Amino acid sequence: MSRGATSPFGDIGRHVPALSFALRPSPNDELREWGGEPLVRGKRVLDVGCGDGRFALAVAPVASSVDGLDPDAEAIATARKTARKAGVRNARFAVGAAQQLPYSDRAFDVVILSWTL
Amino acid sequence: MVDALYEIHRVLAPGGIIVDARPDSRVLAYAERRKTRGFQLFGVVNTSRTELRNDQASDLAIARVVRERLFKRTRRGRLWHRVPFASLAELRQYLWEHLRFVRRAKWIVDEATRKRYSDDQFVIRRAVRYELLEARRARDCDQPAPITR
Repeated sequence: MSRGATSPFGDIGRHVPALSFALRPSPNDELREWGGEPLVRGKRVLDVGCGDGRFALAVAPVASSVDGLDPDAEAIATARKTARKAGVRNARFAVGAAQQLPYSDRAFDVVILSWTL
Repeated sequence: MVDALYEIHRVLAPGGIIVDARPDSRVLAYAERRKTRGFQLFGVVNTSRTELRNDQASDLAIARVVRERLFKRTRRGRLWHRVPFASLAELRQYLWEHLRFVRRAKWIVDEATRKRYSDDQFVIRRAVRYELLEARRARDCDQPAPITR
């Protein structure tokens, strides 16, 4: 959620420097604490506040599908680019806010709020 | 935040899981020097007041949706991780720029010690807490929550 990018969602999620993504525990370490791969294996996962997609892309290989949502268009562009480069086909990313999720009812089995609330 | 949790409940299948993970502002973070074996404690770092208020608001939001029986708590825990810095100056720069913490650590070693090891590698060791909540079925949500005093 870098400070400089424009967003239709105003200041939501904008107070954390972009550097913070590099300063978190690794997604694998976090997932292991939460219960490991069984938590997401074969599941439809939504990563709210996904930023550059670090967590969404980490769980994509074991999840059925992964959707990432973030108000920062720049971060979402980075996530899409990274997914394309890595050949991840079951991950989708969208610009949006948690208060208005652009998904249908009961669309997911797991929702991740990693450093989002 | 509550609005976001309502939305998440809407898009979650019954029995689905929400994972809320964030830095644990209820405990101190620590500034440590990396040694050949282990770490030496140099100081403690408090969370900024703004972030403390944000965390409290998040806690209240979670408590509310649990009270409204949209979710039930299933598991919680805490992990520690270390944020590495190439020098003491870099750690200080991070504290100055990062909004989560107060801008200055409370040092527990004297100035001469800090100066002597200022070019060593440092870390900030901080706690991350997590909680797993399960989405209740709509039928469960319709039942009134028990009155608690």
